[in-house]
Amino acid sequence: MLQWRDRSPQHWHELVNHEVCVTNRDQQRFEGRVFTVDPVSASVVLLSVQESERLSVRVILGHAVTDVQILRRGTEETERQMKSVLLPDRAQSLSAEELKSRRESVRLWLEQNRVPVTEDGEVLRVANALTISAPYRPGDCSSANEIILSRVQSLVESNDEKIRGHLRS
Amino acid sequence: MSGMKTPVSVLRLPRGPEPNSRGFDPTSPRFIALCPTTLPSSSSSSGSADEEEQRLRAELRERFLRTLLLMTGKRVRFDMHEHVRVHARFGASDIDVLNLQVCDLETPLGVQREALLRSQDVIACSFEV
Repeated sequence: MLQWRDRSPQHWHELVNHEVCVTNRDQQRFEGRVFTVDPVSASVVLLSVQESERLSVRVILGHAVTDVQILRRGTEETERQMKSVLLPDRAQSLSAEELKSRRESVRLWLEQNRVPVTEDGEVLRVANALTISAPYRPGDCSSANEIILSRVQSLVESNDEKIRGHLRS
Repeated sequence: MSGMKTPVSVLRLPRGPEPNSRGFDPTSPRFIALCPTTLPSSSSSSGSADEEEQRLRAELRERFLRTLLLMTGKRVRFDMHEHVRVHARFGASDIDVLNLQVCDLETPLGVQREALLRSQDVIACSFEV
């Protein structure tokens, strides 16, 4: 049997969203719903509801895990609830037209500021070095280059402020 | 335990990262000893299977990093070996999750203002959302 740390990312990914029981070397058991398994350290992140009704997140370090067993499978609803707690910025509440007009607005603003931007489906690409995904807020920019990232983020933010200013006036 | 807020002086400082690198050296004895090769190979080595594996790794890792972000600044309970439990405010982890930087670590000796926990000593960290 393969050790937990030697398992494939596919195996780890298959556990996401299901309620599991994690056993460690000292025979302790941890139960909860899997939010993710870190591919670098094989650490398991579990979400569970305590007696006090509060949500608790537990990160079990990969080196301590001996076994993970599925207790109950999750559903689309449980995945959605988990994401809303642990990924609070990803509220997908904008319609397709709203997303399109936001994307257009950000693209035009970047072009006006002489930033080389192209549209690639639902994503905006800047100079092959940075990507902006829906809904095109400063936090949705991703890049390996800190300088480009900070420049584009402040531009996207100033575009947001312009829009908010228009709504107010 | 909650009455003990006397800060204790630092007994020994850990060695810092190399000044000329970003602190991550894959040839360092520490990394080789503690991190097994991070890419367990899947038996099929076709291009699209690799891409799919990479996509899954990226998704899993992003979720993990966002969990760490959520944990930052919060009071976290650390379960260590021999049923030892300590509380501290989580600061950051290094890239391989080998060390965890915390502050206001409550120990039987008092409150350590800054501390580095070795992840090998930690079994689990828990916090409330």
